[in-house]
Amino acid sequence: MRAVGFLVRKEFQQIRRDRPVLGIIFVVPLLQLLIFANVLTTETKHVKLAVVDLDRSRLSRALATAFSNTDRFRVVGFTTDVAAIPSEMRAWRVQAALVIPPGFQSKLVRGESPALQCLVDGVDGNTAAVALGYAEGILSQFLTEYARREAANAELPEQPIRLEERMLYNPDLSSRQYMIPGLVVALLTIIPMLLTALSFTREREMGTLEQLLVTPLRKHELLAGKLIPYLILSYAELAVVTTAAIVVFRIHVEGSLVLLAGLGLLYLFTTLGLGLFVSTVTESQQQAMFVAYFLIVFMLLMSGFFIPIPNMPLLLKKLTYLDPMRYFMAIVRDVFQKGSSLPSLLPDVLPMTAFGLAIFSLSVLKFRKQLG
Amino acid sequence: MTRASADRWEDGAAIQTVELTRRFGSFVAVERVSLRVRRGEVFGLLGPNGAGKTTLIRMLCGLLSPSAGSAFVAGLDVARAGEAVRRRIGYMSQRFSLYPDLTVEENLTFYGGVYGIRGKPLRTRLEEVLAELALGPFRESLARDLPLGYKQRLALGCAMLHEPPILFLDEPTSGVDPRARRSFWDLIHRKAEAGTTLVVTTHYMEEAEYCHRIAIMDSGKVIALGSPTRLKEEHGCESIQQVFLKLLRGDGGSTWQTPRSPSGESGVLGS
Amino acid sequence: MSPRASNSLFLHRPGTLQASLRRIRALAQKELYHILRDFRTLAIVILMPIVQLVMFGYALNLEIQRVDLGVLDYARTPLSRQLISWFEGSRLFRVFSMDGSAEEADRLFRLRRLQAVLVIPPRFGEEVERRGFSTVQLLVDASDPNAGTLIRDYSRRVVAGLASEKTGSQPLLDFRPTILFNPDLKSAYFFVPGIIALVLVMISALLTSITVAREREMGTLEALLATPVRPHEIVVGKVLPYAALALVDAVFVLAVGVLLYRVPLRGDPLLLLLLTAIYLATGLNLGLILSTVARTQQVAMIMAMVTTLLPTLLLSGLIFPIASMPGWLQALSYLVPARYYLLIVRGILLKGSAWAHLVQPSLVLLGMSLLLLAVSARRFRTTLEV
Repeated sequence: MRAVGFLVRKEFQQIRRDRPVLGIIFVVPLLQLLIFANVLTTETKHVKLAVVDLDRSRLSRALATAFSNTDRFRVVGFTTDVAAIPSEMRAWRVQAALVIPPGFQSKLVRGESPALQCLVDGVDGNTAAVALGYAEGILSQFLTEYARREAANAELPEQPIRLEERMLYNPDLSSRQYMIPGLVVALLTIIPMLLTALSFTREREMGTLEQLLVTPLRKHELLAGKLIPYLILSYAELAVVTTAAIVVFRIHVEGSLVLLAGLGLLYLFTTLGLGLFVSTVTESQQQAMFVAYFLIVFMLLMSGFFIPIPNMPLLLKKLTYLDPMRYFMAIVRDVFQKGSSLPSLLPDVLPMTAFGLAIFSLSVLKFRKQLG
Repeated sequence: MTRASADRWEDGAAIQTVELTRRFGSFVAVERVSLRVRRGEVFGLLGPNGAGKTTLIRMLCGLLSPSAGSAFVAGLDVARAGEAVRRRIGYMSQRFSLYPDLTVEENLTFYGGVYGIRGKPLRTRLEEVLAELALGPFRESLARDLPLGYKQRLALGCAMLHEPPILFLDEPTSGVDPRARRSFWDLIHRKAEAGTTLVVTTHYMEEAEYCHRIAIMDSGKVIALGSPTRLKEEHGCESIQQVFLKLLRGDGGSTWQTPRSPSGESGVLGS
Repeated sequence: MSPRASNSLFLHRPGTLQASLRRIRALAQKELYHILRDFRTLAIVILMPIVQLVMFGYALNLEIQRVDLGVLDYARTPLSRQLISWFEGSRLFRVFSMDGSAEEADRLFRLRRLQAVLVIPPRFGEEVERRGFSTVQLLVDASDPNAGTLIRDYSRRVVAGLASEKTGSQPLLDFRPTILFNPDLKSAYFFVPGIIALVLVMISALLTSITVAREREMGTLEALLATPVRPHEIVVGKVLPYAALALVDAVFVLAVGVLLYRVPLRGDPLLLLLLTAIYLATGLNLGLILSTVARTQQVAMIMAMVTTLLPTLLLSGLIFPIASMPGWLQALSYLVPARYYLLIVRGILLKGSAWAHLVQPSLVLLGMSLLLLAVSARRFRTTLEV
């Protein structure tokens, strides 16, 4: 069993000299964290707005100013030609247009409820919906102020039912809180899997695997010696990335980090096992990369990382149960955000453990200590 | 270990195969090869590319299971006692399978550890091997930076660090310049004099002269077997090169179809 | 004219354009053999983009279908029942009535059975008479902030609808939103062209980056350089066959998008194809530059993935709007070719944009492509001849 120690040492000697691998393990994830943390904002800002003011009144200008005063919209132009708007949208110069009809001010003053049209480019459906929401907000504030200032005598309709909202687990509605724990899971899947798969296929390509197979090493010693270094590295990565998420990106952890560490170790058996599995079905590093890439894309898609599982068609929803990442994704998010403890996580922990054991033992069985 | 195999070991045979066959699908890579290698012998396997030399060696090392027949190495049945066989052999593959990103010393230490040598014995053995193969000046160099001739020595070093009684060298001299080849063969002979059995494959015909006995293989079969001198006499040729060409052309008539069993040679069984 | 190129055995003088074209043809032909003989790679090249498009296009749906809403009705008044029926009437919510307490809500959130709970306090409705308004509480599992926001906005609309029916007052303004080009706000319309942009740049960069590294690994690059072939001829001879292959891929992928996902093609297909070719050239030339850096196929592949996948996914506007990013990321996004191609492909497919609308992104893309080609030809000369 002490031969395992030599294998582990050899693997670390190789990793130490392999700068790209170290970069992949520690630098790239931190960069991804940095970019993700900044890219992921639910807030839509600076929507390009054209104002089509056909009224040219004091109130229509005040309305335009109300829009340009927020950072939600950026007023890119004033025009009186409604027909030009679609063409401007085709050239991506305008995303939304506010059409203020002639007689806007006079109708408003008379309480005739003037029609206010808002044209929105629907290609990016999410932005369109959010922009419309903002527009409604700006309008209602504009009207409140108008009613207060200009029509102090006019009666504001009283809102008889008020909704008191409590946004649980993520009161700031921060995307980071949701996505960064997800990114930790994605990294803990991709990197161990790729490294394990490539490390075995590299030895096969170089012929050193053949050399190892003629030594008295037992199968379990060979596997342990090759897998332990990557287990250690992946675990170190989990620690580094989680620490960065908490310290640098101020991600709040509601639950227990010890629980997270324990379940992370459990999950690593799945990803290392998958890496080993990929290496048993491929002959070259190139093939291994392709197969691993496909598996990773499938797992990412089905995990709920960026596509919520409830949104999926039924067939896909069922397919997600085959994705081990789905369970760990749910676990990590729940521990981070809801502070869930083991009992309420069991519905995810149990299938994840079963998957880990199945994949790991299947690939160990498939790995033969022979050629051909 | 069977009684019979133990007997053969006592008998002086380091390696013995019986009707050893390996098929890949419908292709027969090695067909009913029976031969016997004596202890302390330098045994050459000759043949064109694709003759089945490497497949044969891989079966003897337990890297491939035979489709039929059996192989005994160091008196042990390879199919049953693979683990024990591996402890008694060293194998140097034709690709000089080294870790390019480990130093000479790290490569040797690693293989030593894999064979269960450690601590003081490992350090002593390491110095011995470095001295024997004149690798001392390179101990801190990465394997990938070594000249080809030294890579070859390092590969041999890794294969013999655990002092195996039997060494398999698969095309150990391919691609290496003539002077390095010459000195490599000197090394091989020193090992043989010290009692190691060596099985060497090569496609350099002149190297056959350095072997005690050779087997010429073609299309998976052994078509000639014996000492170089005897083979040359028998075929009336001046060099092994000529013997080889004669056999491949089919001048020897029946040699193409059936393995030749030269009279008085005990090496071929069951022909 | 390089001296090693002079050889009297050539029928044409090696310096002539004709001779150069011949050499390029020979190179391209050889490359074509590589492509056709290597079925596995060919299959990957043809299938990978389509499989990815199908997978992503099918799965990438950010429209929330159904929200499971629990209702704790402590009031059981006509008004509370009316409120519940308004929630039931909204197509977003599936309403479950609950017994027990608010702690029960927490448990159900943790088990992910419910996404929101509506708590109607006792004497709901009576207060309206007394105070003029009454309050209901909405608990939302906001761990996914997108879903949380949507649930909140929908609930506000339901409550406001009921309220304005109660008061019967006329709004001050008649707000009329009109959504152009994608009135149903279908996710697929937005994401399918995005995935097309991603897949095409990945495959084209991958193709050329591997091919040079493979020649280097096999040692044939050295042999090639010993012939009268010039570096720029190698560049052209290598790019042409893969350009053809990538274009075939592009047609396949666009066809899948239009036929399978029913993404409309409102603009000129020829214009789309032409501008797609420019985009592909950018990817192919990027791959060439990578191949002059990468020593092995593996490194080339990793570099091609790293330089295309993540920047395209994150910084091109494929998913996240560029305008919402911090300034330094917006500046970075100008370097991502897909940023420009997305305007083109989404414009032509969904909006029927014409050439006049797309001049700017097209010219930037063309400029990028030529710049990359020039850099790669230059790098070829310096890295290979030494």
